[in-house]
Amino acid sequence: MSMHERIGTIREAINEAIHEEMRRDDRVFIMGEDIGVAGGVFKVTAGLLDEFGPERVRDTPITEAGIVGLAVGAAMTGMRPIVEIMFSDFTTLASDQIVNQAAKLRYMTAGQTSIPLVIRAAMGAGRRAAAQHSQSLQAWFAHIPGLKVVMPSNPADAKGLLKSAIRDDNPVLYFEDKMMYNEKGPIPEGDYTVPLGEARIHREGTDATLICTSSMLYPAFDAADKLAEEGIEVEVIDPRSITPLDEETLVNSAIKTGHVLIIDEGYQNYGVTAEIAARVQEKAFDYLDAPVRRLGAADVPIPFAPSLEDLTIPSADQIVEIVHEMRA
Amino acid sequence: MAYEVVMSQLGLSMDSGQIIQWLKQSGDNVKAGELLLEVESDKSTVEVESVESGILHIVLEPEDGDIPVGKVIAYLLAEGEQPPVSEKPAVPTATPAPEPAVASPVVMAEKKLESGGNKWPRPNRPPSTPAARRRAKELGIEWRLATPTGSRAAIKERDVIQLAESLKAAASPAATPEVQISPVARRLAESVGLDLDQHVQQYPGKRLERVDVEQIIRRLISTTQTSAGSPHKVIDDSPAQRQSMGRLRSLIAERMTYSTKTYAPVTLTTETDATELVRIRDGLKADPKIEVVPSYNALLAKLVAEALLEHPKLNASLEGEEIVFWETVNVGIAVDTERGLVVPVVRNVQARSMHELALDIEELLPRAKEGKALPDELTGGTFTITNLGGYDIDAFVPIINPPESAVLGVGRLIDKWVVVDNEPAIRTMMTLSLTFDHRLVDGGPAARFLQRVKQFVEQPYLWLV
Repeated sequence: MSMHERIGTIREAINEAIHEEMRRDDRVFIMGEDIGVAGGVFKVTAGLLDEFGPERVRDTPITEAGIVGLAVGAAMTGMRPIVEIMFSDFTTLASDQIVNQAAKLRYMTAGQTSIPLVIRAAMGAGRRAAAQHSQSLQAWFAHIPGLKVVMPSNPADAKGLLKSAIRDDNPVLYFEDKMMYNEKGPIPEGDYTVPLGEARIHREGTDATLICTSSMLYPAFDAADKLAEEGIEVEVIDPRSITPLDEETLVNSAIKTGHVLIIDEGYQNYGVTAEIAARVQEKAFDYLDAPVRRLGAADVPIPFAPSLEDLTIPSADQIVEIVHEMRA
Repeated sequence: MAYEVVMSQLGLSMDSGQIIQWLKQSGDNVKAGELLLEVESDKSTVEVESVESGILHIVLEPEDGDIPVGKVIAYLLAEGEQPPVSEKPAVPTATPAPEPAVASPVVMAEKKLESGGNKWPRPNRPPSTPAARRRAKELGIEWRLATPTGSRAAIKERDVIQLAESLKAAASPAATPEVQISPVARRLAESVGLDLDQHVQQYPGKRLERVDVEQIIRRLISTTQTSAGSPHKVIDDSPAQRQSMGRLRSLIAERMTYSTKTYAPVTLTTETDATELVRIRDGLKADPKIEVVPSYNALLAKLVAEALLEHPKLNASLEGEEIVFWETVNVGIAVDTERGLVVPVVRNVQARSMHELALDIEELLPRAKEGKALPDELTGGTFTITNLGGYDIDAFVPIINPPESAVLGVGRLIDKWVVVDNEPAIRTMMTLSLTFDHRLVDGGPAARFLQRVKQFVEQPYLWLV
């Protein structure tokens, strides 16, 4: 833990984490579309090419399966690759490499090799990028044993979680909400890491628990403020990684408040919210004073029309309404 | 295909039962309509008949104790068929021998609730949250008694807490709810299982802190230590016979405790001149054409029903903030049985003839005494009569049978010298005691009701016409 911190954006926090890890360990390198000369479409990788050169900062063709395949191979030789998939929607193109290779090889070789690979991808709706550039597919990968799935919500966690992900000997998917890159907050300086599998309680409360991933933290905060005006104190918890999941913190909060709402921007059907809801009710059933509720993206292809797109994203108003229903 | 015989629901309030005995053996060829077994539910024993035919294979025996409704207790098999291994619940294939009669408004309300679109009927299981049920278990109270405030009429945790508080308030009117207890003190008390409410009176107007709780604990420990080795120990060492309370006893205990904790009972007594009533009954007895002479219980049930029509507040129940006035008078008559007290209920007393009532009571009471009354015949009362005259008891203070709001205690008939028209005369006297719930009824109206009952006893023609 470092002593100093500065205020910066999530974009800066991720950029800093990659810089620091590449300086610390020369096995770390980065590949992706437009990450070098252009500094990334969201400018997350700016400055890397200048400092580390084209050997370690590699612009690639538009070939997701190829990039991840190369990275899996590099990881097997002892390198620690970071791959940027420009939009998380495109992970589907690389899914054979991720699901059938990266996730499996350590097991299938009985530990003779490991895949210390980080795949960063921009997720989430709100950028008017339409149905093929706006999805949140974290549940797809959380479903696969052998993969870790990390979803930072603020600059400090973005830095600390990415550094832990890079140092992890397993494939880690690191989802960045593209609407959050400019979100500001303290960034601890120096070697700051956040362990994977530890939830963070952002706000303590006694009346209901909001479990929210990634950018859903912000509508949850807004809702918590509104509810507090009515005297309803909600607890706001960010699991930070959904695999591994800090079940204990979530269940303890459920036991404390008796009312749980889970918010994740992935589709609600069969989503992250469903898994967390099931686990919470299994362990906290006797303490629940209302059914566990879920709020995910509307189950539709994300519309291009801004007015419609906004309606698919969980909002503070919906959260307030559901908390009212649970406490009715 | 094996038919599953399950623990049948013999009354609306029954959620489990005990097998008293199988009337058939495993391997017997049972025909539909034959009696299969005896089941004991809350207050009665019922013979259950088979609705299917087949070779009986018994799964559960009397030793298995309390069995939830719907659980497989036996199979009826075809020739050469093996019983299935699993024991999953199924639709009942056995029914209680006679159909229970339903007339009480309470029971009707429950029925309506159940048929209200509930796809999976859960008898006597109002909507409730897990937290509510857990909390009730922790507090040792019955969650079904809580008043639901949740959406879709669900009982929530707060409702159970509310119930616990009202029970506590009713139990200890002297307790001062204003006493403040610091969270640390409360947690400390909870951690050692100390009921602070028993001690708060000693600290009037004070905020209980940790040191106070520690002091209480120290005091309790020293008391326990000094008492060790004294009479307690002797009692502990001496042989004592212990036996299970049994279902009926524990139900009576639960209801009586609930009644005394929740109700605000007041008892009024009056001595009545029952000479005319005795004369009427003797007259009926003397007439050979009268098949069934109404018992005093039957006469009292009828005249009480008539009086209740004039005083509906005594034929009512308190439900939350509402008073429910029952449209029928269902009179429960307390019956002493070997197994304990039961209260068979005679329904619709106000609308039925004396003859019908006499027949009904003549049939029901002995059956209840043998423990053969159906569960639904033991519920749904709106007023209770309890008569200890047969044991030479002059007068006593009865306890209200929840959810009713009054009970009439009847003493013995005894010839006494009394003053009639300034002359001594021998009259047959009887003492009546009315316990009523002061939350619902005040002393004046209750006294007027009892006065009317006294009048009806003394001048039976007032209600015979």
